[in-house]
Amino acid sequence: MNTTIKEEEGKMIASFSGRLDTLAAVQTAKDVQCIIDSECTDVELDCEELEYISSSGLRIFISILKSVKARKGSVVVKNINDEIKKVFEMTGFNKLFIIK
Amino acid sequence: MLTRTRVPAEVTFLGCVTFLLATGVIAEHDVLESFGSEAILVTGAFYIILAGLMNTGVLYWMSKHMLGEPSSFKKAIVSLMTPAAVFSAMLGCLEVTHLFTDMVKMWARKLSIAPSKLLMALSYAATFGGMCTLLGHTSNLVVAGLYVEQTGKALNLFAPLVPGLACTVVGTILIIFLRDKLPPRESPEVSFEETSDYTVELLVPTDNEAVMQTIDEAGLRNVRGGSLIEIVRFDKEVISPVPADEIIFGGDRLIYSGQINELLELKISHGLVAADHHVYSINEIDSNRKMRTAYVSFGSDLIGTRMSESDFEKRSDMVLVAVARQGKRVNEQPRQVIIQAGDSLLLECPSKRDNYLEDTYKRSLTFFDSQFVPHLGSRTIISASILVLMFIFSSSQVIPLITAVMIAAGAMLAFGCCRMDSITKYIDWNFLLSLGAMMVFSTAITKTGLVSMVSDPIVELCANNPYIILIVMCFLASFVSEIFSNVSAAAVFFPVIYHQAVTLGCDPMPFTIGLMTSVTISYATPVGSVTHMHIYGPGGFNFTDFLHIGILMHIVLLAVNIATIILVFPLK
Repeated sequence: MNTTIKEEEGKMIASFSGRLDTLAAVQTAKDVQCIIDSECTDVELDCEELEYISSSGLRIFISILKSVKARKGSVVVKNINDEIKKVFEMTGFNKLFIIK
Repeated sequence: MLTRTRVPAEVTFLGCVTFLLATGVIAEHDVLESFGSEAILVTGAFYIILAGLMNTGVLYWMSKHMLGEPSSFKKAIVSLMTPAAVFSAMLGCLEVTHLFTDMVKMWARKLSIAPSKLLMALSYAATFGGMCTLLGHTSNLVVAGLYVEQTGKALNLFAPLVPGLACTVVGTILIIFLRDKLPPRESPEVSFEETSDYTVELLVPTDNEAVMQTIDEAGLRNVRGGSLIEIVRFDKEVISPVPADEIIFGGDRLIYSGQINELLELKISHGLVAADHHVYSINEIDSNRKMRTAYVSFGSDLIGTRMSESDFEKRSDMVLVAVARQGKRVNEQPRQVIIQAGDSLLLECPSKRDNYLEDTYKRSLTFFDSQFVPHLGSRTIISASILVLMFIFSSSQVIPLITAVMIAAGAMLAFGCCRMDSITKYIDWNFLLSLGAMMVFSTAITKTGLVSMVSDPIVELCANNPYIILIVMCFLASFVSEIFSNVSAAAVFFPVIYHQAVTLGCDPMPFTIGLMTSVTISYATPVGSVTHMHIYGPGGFNFTDFLHIGILMHIVLLAVNIATIILVFPLK
């Protein structure tokens, strides 16, 4: 599992690749802490290379969403595969995030 | 082993028969003769007679009007055991136990007696009564069938009456004396209503308003009647203990511990559902679905399975909500519990089709609140008359037992006491297959020379004394039937005991009757007795409950049985 964070024109973009399972979630939570701690109101989570997401992974997405919403910002989730899309639909996450 | 096995008995037995055929131990005609033997035909036809008696309300009427309102526990035992023993002699011990179970439970509550105490008395009475006639136990028919094969002479319907009656009288007196030792167990379905500590599983639909709230915000942690003990996520992650700020996801399975009735209120107050599959909206669930309790009977195909891993819920449209074992909470997520015989299940069921569910899944579950209520009318009298005539003609040897039973079964159908198009439904084919296989094993034992190998050393060891041999064989057969079943013990021991009687130049009749009655004396475990097996779930018993008085009953009644046979039947 690999997480890359970059900043482009005031937008923070987190790109995930691999499987975000329970084990990988610990490191990923540390990797995205900078987004939670930042003042950025425009966050994009790029999941193009994300193969799988566990409930622990979803918890990280929720932490990001909560912090950005507290700053009156928005989080966009991009390029999710069909399997992850199903998980989002089942858990109700598709109604919380802007999915592109 | 029987409480956990997943392979049905008849499959195992038929596998063994196939092996014996393939290896040439037995020939095709042996198998055909065994499956077409008197025991099989009489048992099969008797199912039709019982269906007729059940459908026309004869059995319902008898069980309802025989119990009365006794003033003490002692009188209650007598009031129950007397008719149960008499009916068991006429209709078979298992059928009578099955028939009386629900009635006795209601009666016990009315008399303020623990149902388990009266259920155990019922089980003993049915076993005792069944010892008196050939129809009382299937093992009696097996022995009688094998006797006919060997001698060509049919046994009278009341052939085991004298030892059977002696055991019934002594056994009933013993139960009255030992009544305080009968285990007082809480009735499982009542414990679902009254116990404050059960585990309940409910699912959060995707569109539930609690999704994305914390457990505390949603008011789902400490609820009326219990508390949340764990959350199981869609990917099987288990969160336990559950922190107050844990976010709720759609599809979460919330596991609560507490009082069931109050926890089930969460379905209405918080929009949670009981479901085996993911639910997106509460509207997908029929709001008229209802809770029913059932117990897992011995031999159920659910034994050893987990609901979460089997397709039972999907097939049956029932959802497991809670599990109780011997009146206590099972400290696991209900759908992950490995189901055992005797477990009580709380199931969410469709609003209609009660009879269909009971009928379709009768091999898996027995519902406590069976919906069957027969209609009493002219056919009630007709079917009762058919039964009485069958007994008169077969006991007076006007016609052989097999003919009498077949005619009675035909009469039940002809007079509309049971439906012709449902004839196959009334017959327990699985049991008949097992029975047929047992008859094959009996033939195999004779053909392989195993009989002489087992029989001769025992004869020598007992110094050719027929009395000692009879005692030893009855003891061995009775012991084996405690571990396996009386039918298996009867089928396996008959060729041996018959061979011994012939070798010693004795009349095989006393040995046959001795074996017949001894194999039914198996009270120390629920596995050894079909009636104990039947009451195991409804009574909320422990496996060891049967040991306490069972061992004493076993020893005393075996002694009474052997003594009566020696006194009544001359061995030479």
